[in-house]
Amino acid sequence: MRKSVIIAVAAVGTLVVAGCSSSSSSSSSSSASTSTSSSAATTACVASTGMEGPLTGPVASLGQEQLHFAELAVSMDNAANHTNISIVQGDTQLTPSIATTVTQQFTSNSKILAVVGPAGSQEVEAVGPLMARAGLAFISGSATAAALTTGKYPTFFRVVSKDSVQGPEDANFIVNTLKPKALMIVDDQEAYSTGLVSAMTPIFTAAGIKVDHESVSQKVTDFSSLVAKVTPETSVVVLPWQIAANAQQFGKDLAQEHKNAVIFGTDGLFSPGTFEISGSYVSSFGPDITGIAADASIVAAAKAKYGSFGTFGPPVFAAQHVVDEAIASVCKAGQTPSRANVLAAIKTTNEPTSILGQAIQFDSNGDLVNGKFFLFKINTAGSYLLNSTQLSS
Amino acid sequence: MAFFFQELVNGITTGALYALVALGFSMVYGVLKLLNFAHGDLYMVGAYIGFFVIRWFGGAAHVDIPVPLLLVIMFVLAAGLVGGLGVAIERFAYRPLRNAPRIAPLITAIGISFFLENSALLLFGAQYRIYNTSDFISLSSGIQIGSVTIDSVQIMVLVLGLLLMVGLRQLVNRTRLGKQMRAVAVDREAAEMLGINVNFTIAATFFIGSALAGVAGVMAGLLFNQVTSTIGFIAGLKAFTASVVGGIGSIPGAMLGGLLIGIAESFITGYVSSTYTNLLVFGLLIAVMLVRPTGLLGQAQLQKV
Repeated sequence: MRKSVIIAVAAVGTLVVAGCSSSSSSSSSSSASTSTSSSAATTACVASTGMEGPLTGPVASLGQEQLHFAELAVSMDNAANHTNISIVQGDTQLTPSIATTVTQQFTSNSKILAVVGPAGSQEVEAVGPLMARAGLAFISGSATAAALTTGKYPTFFRVVSKDSVQGPEDANFIVNTLKPKALMIVDDQEAYSTGLVSAMTPIFTAAGIKVDHESVSQKVTDFSSLVAKVTPETSVVVLPWQIAANAQQFGKDLAQEHKNAVIFGTDGLFSPGTFEISGSYVSSFGPDITGIAADASIVAAAKAKYGSFGTFGPPVFAAQHVVDEAIASVCKAGQTPSRANVLAAIKTTNEPTSILGQAIQFDSNGDLVNGKFFLFKINTAGSYLLNSTQLSS
Repeated sequence: MAFFFQELVNGITTGALYALVALGFSMVYGVLKLLNFAHGDLYMVGAYIGFFVIRWFGGAAHVDIPVPLLLVIMFVLAAGLVGGLGVAIERFAYRPLRNAPRIAPLITAIGISFFLENSALLLFGAQYRIYNTSDFISLSSGIQIGSVTIDSVQIMVLVLGLLLMVGLRQLVNRTRLGKQMRAVAVDREAAEMLGINVNFTIAATFFIGSALAGVAGVMAGLLFNQVTSTIGFIAGLKAFTASVVGGIGSIPGAMLGGLLIGIAESFITGYVSSTYTNLLVFGLLIAVMLVRPTGLLGQAQLQKV
């Protein structure tokens, strides 16, 4: 009996862990390791930058893509500017508590002059005060929550637009173009996803659309029961998710159960080769840089070195490039790079063009001026075509 | 009514997967009294093996051998290799701790879990590997009863899962090895005095349990189309829960627990909301544990005094 009680207690304890893990990644310890960029630096312009991203855990595929593009940017910028900038990696696992630990390591490392990342808005919320206290500039390539750029994190910047633009824009496109009578919207229990659902749902409701709001963990891979709930009148399923493979499975389950609803996904679902359900839409904070002629050399280098990629890497390239240029500009001015002068240089960033096909300039709160969202439709071959209706702020 | 049966089919299919993983978990606990938290990661390794077999034979869209043969190779290789991995883990990580306090192998098991997960991340990369099952097994080749769809992969999972469960039960109840397993589970020292090779019996238990996890991993890949280094966590968790609810150490209990969880998840998602699935399923299971701490088919053990 005593053994049985012990097992029961262990089971309940595990369930508690399960509950906690529904909104967080696995709990392995954070890591911070150094990888140096390749460059034959010829000057004394030496600096380290931090890179925070989910390098392991459920969304490691996105984090690794971000790291690859950060490394690519440093490599190219070092060669172009004759600098010797290196990257210190920090694995946040998209978990605020781990991001906090990584940030503490970064802020206490005086060699780190600026940080690229973290990836998630909830992580930015966690590390913002630490970064501000250390005077450390940090630029995210994917944190889109509107609340981040209200001035409370004075050293925060981002090279992508924000949810308060994307949510309503996406919802209006669905209402006006796809014209559903009923739709299902499924969040993935992460702050990013629930935030977008909150921004979209009032617009659907106001348009008289019957909304079935569902919620599944990112770790779930079986959607058959959920798909069975898609009624014949439900013509759109909105998936503001970060894991493209899950959306692909959702689409396969729809087909298997003979449901004809169109999938409308966001950001993380932009993943040619992984999410390729014909007729689906994906709105993304990043463009498909394979379609930008000026990015041909970057695309070729990235594909040669890392294989295919989505839209999470290029914004991080842009963020890293901003940092690299800021450091280089300090050196060119004859100063020794420090957190303060790099932060000041980032604030005055004015790049007329970038890998993202748009200018990069920050407003006083760190937001990208004239940030855009991009809408894609997947054709029968699984290719992503830029929709004629391009969303923009 | 069609909706009810569709959810039932979905629930039984998922439950069969949980049950297969739970069986190995429960077997190991039965013999060693060890909560093997690395068991879910063996399932992950099995899923990867299935993926690489598909790739080895030309990829999902261009399989260059007959599909039934491909499936046999996938299952046999996954079972053999994952079974072997399980034996190696037992030999090098658990056997040295067999007489240590119970917390030591438990922590080791968690360590092995992280080791396997991160090894897979380093070896196979962070990207999701996609099976693309429908490229070589047609979705329309299943059974359609009214508006209830049971595709061929679901049928295969159900049939194979059932065969493995029945086969395992026969092995444990009717064979010499099964008797040895039961003897070691009841009293390891007494079994050794009776001439049973305890090390071999435990290794065989690990092989069979791990092989079942490997097979379940391939099934999951075929059914859910994706594999990544982290899929073992949730599978292991569900297997542990299924084992405990069914009565840990009990083979029929593990089957029952797995099926119950799968069906409960399916019906709660279908009839209530996916938002509350984990809350209600685990709430239900806590209630079961409170009423029957030994699990549904578990038996209270007598304490020696």
